[in-house]
Amino acid sequence: MFEFKTKTKQLAIALTVVGAILWVVGFALNGSSSHDAGHGHDAHATEVHADAGHDTHAEEAHADHGHDAHAEEAHDDHGHEAHAEEAHADHGHDAHAEEAHGDHDAHAEHAAHQIANRPWSALYVAAFFFLGLGLGQLFFLGIQYVAQAGWSAGLLRLMEAQSFAIVVPLIVIALITFLGFGHVHHMFHWMVEGINVPGHENYDAIIAGKRGFLNPLFFTIRILIYIGGWIWAAKVLRKNSLLSDTGDGVAMWKKNRGVAAAFTVFYAVTSSTSAWDLVMSIDTHWFSTLFGWYTFAGMFVSSFAALILLTLYLKGQGHLEWVNENHLHDLGKFMFAFSVFWTYLWFSQFVLIWYANIPEEVTYYMQRFEQYKVPFFTMLVLNFILPVLAVLSRPAKRVPGTVVMAAVFVLVGHYMDHYVMIMPGTVGDHYGFGLVELGPILFFAGLYIYVVLSSVAKAPLLHKNHPMLTESKNFHQ
Amino acid sequence: MHYESPVRNPLILGDKSYSDITNDIAKPVESKAPRAWWIAFSIAFVMFLWGVGCILYTIGTGIGVWGLNKTVDWAWDITNFVWWVGIGHAGTLISAVLLLFRQKWRMAINRSAEAMTIFSVIQAGLFPLIHMGRIWMAYWVMPIPNQFGSLWVNFNSPLLWDVFAISTYLTVSTVFWYVGLIPDFAMIRDRAINPVQKHIYKILSFGWGGQAKHWQRFEEVSLVLAGLATPLVLSVHTIVSFDFATSVIPGWHTTIFPPYFVAGAIFSGFAMVQTLLLIVRKIFKMEDYINIEHIEMMNIVIMVTGSIVGVAYITELFIAWYSGVEYEQYAFLNRATGPYWWAYWSMMTCNVFSPQFMWSKKLRTNLIFTFVISIVVNIGMWFERFVIIVTSIHRDYLPSSWSMFSPTFVDIGIYIGTIGFFFVLFLLYARTFPVIAQAELKTILKSSGENFKKHHDEHGAH
Amino acid sequence: MGHTKHNPIVRALFNDDDVVLGAVKDLRSNGYHVSEVYSPFPIHGLDEAMGLKRTRLSTAAFFYGLTGLFFASWLTYYTMTLDWPQNIGGKPNAYWFLNMPSFIPVMFELTVFFAAHLMCWSYFAVNKLYPGAKAQNPDPRTTDDHFLMEVELEGEEADLTKKLQELGALEISKVEA
Repeated sequence: MFEFKTKTKQLAIALTVVGAILWVVGFALNGSSSHDAGHGHDAHATEVHADAGHDTHAEEAHADHGHDAHAEEAHDDHGHEAHAEEAHADHGHDAHAEEAHGDHDAHAEHAAHQIANRPWSALYVAAFFFLGLGLGQLFFLGIQYVAQAGWSAGLLRLMEAQSFAIVVPLIVIALITFLGFGHVHHMFHWMVEGINVPGHENYDAIIAGKRGFLNPLFFTIRILIYIGGWIWAAKVLRKNSLLSDTGDGVAMWKKNRGVAAAFTVFYAVTSSTSAWDLVMSIDTHWFSTLFGWYTFAGMFVSSFAALILLTLYLKGQGHLEWVNENHLHDLGKFMFAFSVFWTYLWFSQFVLIWYANIPEEVTYYMQRFEQYKVPFFTMLVLNFILPVLAVLSRPAKRVPGTVVMAAVFVLVGHYMDHYVMIMPGTVGDHYGFGLVELGPILFFAGLYIYVVLSSVAKAPLLHKNHPMLTESKNFHQ
Repeated sequence: MHYESPVRNPLILGDKSYSDITNDIAKPVESKAPRAWWIAFSIAFVMFLWGVGCILYTIGTGIGVWGLNKTVDWAWDITNFVWWVGIGHAGTLISAVLLLFRQKWRMAINRSAEAMTIFSVIQAGLFPLIHMGRIWMAYWVMPIPNQFGSLWVNFNSPLLWDVFAISTYLTVSTVFWYVGLIPDFAMIRDRAINPVQKHIYKILSFGWGGQAKHWQRFEEVSLVLAGLATPLVLSVHTIVSFDFATSVIPGWHTTIFPPYFVAGAIFSGFAMVQTLLLIVRKIFKMEDYINIEHIEMMNIVIMVTGSIVGVAYITELFIAWYSGVEYEQYAFLNRATGPYWWAYWSMMTCNVFSPQFMWSKKLRTNLIFTFVISIVVNIGMWFERFVIIVTSIHRDYLPSSWSMFSPTFVDIGIYIGTIGFFFVLFLLYARTFPVIAQAELKTILKSSGENFKKHHDEHGAH
Repeated sequence: MGHTKHNPIVRALFNDDDVVLGAVKDLRSNGYHVSEVYSPFPIHGLDEAMGLKRTRLSTAAFFYGLTGLFFASWLTYYTMTLDWPQNIGGKPNAYWFLNMPSFIPVMFELTVFFAAHLMCWSYFAVNKLYPGAKAQNPDPRTTDDHFLMEVELEGEEADLTKKLQELGALEISKVEA
């Protein structure tokens, strides 16, 4: 039985507290250097707007009032009413500047919103990333029962423990989205006041058309359904698993097969809809049918990385003597396979949008390509090339060192992927990596370690009456 | 060593020894064809001949003999192409993906499923070839400068990607299949009495002897081929979906197409495997090897993939509305309520609703019901492609050119001909090839054979 | 794999895979050299028990695949960018990289094509398998349900024979090398 030592506990709590403090400090400092966006000395106005829709003309060009600043305009006006690009140089010297002046206040407000969004978005990115680490393993746990997997019986307790790590991120995510309704932040374009009121200055016809789905009430109901359904599954699977330690392993196994089947169906739908709600709706105009599956694949693969690290940590502590390099090999294979699968979905989504080049879709990638070039390409390398090369060969999958290295690539890469998914729509080009980004990572990492290790410590690591246990112990590649 | 959890059902029924497996699997090859085989073969052959006639007529006269028109310029040809490629996918899936997942139940069905793959990809390949009109120019799709000048094939075109994908898929599947067949051919060679037969199987078996080193390489090659075939099978249907999805036609251009086509392909392929194996096990008395456990597993795969396809349908429908793009919205409205509503609802009924019956254990272990559903699914998947292709283009951006499509007897004839051709090949295969990978099957006899399992359960595993 | 020149070979026939595997382990621990085992199906763990090295076919496949990848990159570069660049569908071909997403399907397919086919040819070549080759197994029963072991004879024949009988051999014969 694993004991969650005080020292480790303290470390986890310290991470959480430090993370929280960093975030709060970051929050307080946020925007102070450029709170007067538009007048600031270092402010750029690089606007690539995601709404090159039908008749929208949200692109604005901005004179930069700073003396050394320059305005770059990357326009992608594919709309039907094409706008001329307006790029304005220094205010004092350019006669055309007045033209932009009218838009100026609106823009300054927009930029201020983007800057103000940053701490919230950074918290949201980390919450979503850590949600994936738990949710992926919850789904995988369900699959172990549904598919009658034998090899993994000795690892089920770890998956169960990871599943509980969804609770805190879910609450944080829900709170952030609810704060959006109160206009505390402006991450979600569709939550803007008057967005669906014709004649209102914020009115947006396209977003108004989505009101049937994107409205506070229905959204809240959906969020509560996700939270309820997922946590229910994690709890019931765990409960039956613990019952089998004292009771009939086969009966509980069969019971969990039923629970897992129901959960799989539930998750098949909610994995997509939650991705639309929580991530896709940030870029409210944009849409992609693949998005739900793509998000799922990213969560799934990063959760394997987390499982590998957890397994090797526990083995390093002298536990899990029934887990050997054959099991590690299989975990490595899963991570490898789903890295490839994630890349496949990434490529499918990207190439179709790139190839067809339809304005309402392609702006999504244009913004990422132009404003987020470094994270955009780095995460592709981290999520595909490096892990695939690291654990392509059979011997490499059996050595803890290489597998851990690949797992770290995957974790960092998928954090960045979530970053690139969420940030552009909320902060535009006012992004970076500072206290507000680091803080939430430490915060959730601490909580993750705390939650996972304390539930690992609550029950024997060996699921001793599981009908597949002997298969798992005998498992050989 | 040979332990298997008692909660798993046996995969080989009866009191079998290694030698029984040899005899049972060599039997169809060594004995005379049953009457049912001749009847089936004759029907398939007539269908095949009809198809050949229609193909010759098309080539002689031109593709004007099809029902295509200016608006609907792609219809049954590409529908049949996608349908056949899709069916092929289950074979690779069973032999490759299930091998990587160590699903032992695949061993009874992988050989026939791979055969099905190859034969159906052959049918698929026929359609683009015929559609070229001048089939003798078919080599122009190869990367050679056109008319031997210097203008090359267009590597930006999904249709050219298809050329590479389908040829790689066909050849790699064939090699994969053949590598697995060699030890089984050797088994037939070593027991053949008829000298002609012995000679033929000697040629086919490449001199296989079963040395330890050779088996080691065999397993390694199988594993690597499975590792290569898994992404390959995904890529093939992905590229097929790119034929549509790279365009800007509402109903075609949607990012979910690649994985959704793959899921649909697996779905229809498993249904076809189910159809074929239900017949094979009956005619050749293979019930002990392809038993209820296998059928149930396949039904579960059908149910799961059918549901994935259902989620994809709903996603498409939802996002079409959500997008706020009126053309997208109309395309889907037109599918469900336009003049082709019956095709759409046939698709929905066959593909999404009918597999849900498989949630019932009673129904998914019922052979007749399974057989019916397997046929229903294949009809549904044909409609799916028809719906995607024809209903998306028959009402385009210009209402003045809206039109309908109706197939001519040639369209129908070629389609029926490919079904005949497919069954001709499959029936010939079933008579001359070992229909079950017996060498592989022998490796699981001690862990998954009924008699051995019973022994383990009674006396405890060692 | 090849046995040394002069030692005669003793062949022993078995009818169970576990017995043959046990026998191989036993003989090797007693200093005998089991030069070959013919079996109707792969026996898990036999290669290790016989002390066979791992095959390098998968490594070869990796390099074959790499060759295919480079070939496809060159082919698309040569035809689309170098020889006759065109702007197709608003996608200019001035640089190969501009259009690279379009080439990925072909690059992937050729990678698989090269890896799979060249590996299979290598497999046929190293196993000396070709159409019409003479059957390599000395006893036809080894493709059905028997297992034939070849042991190099070092020392007394009688000892080995006795040992083999103890280990469960059904038939034992001697072949001069």
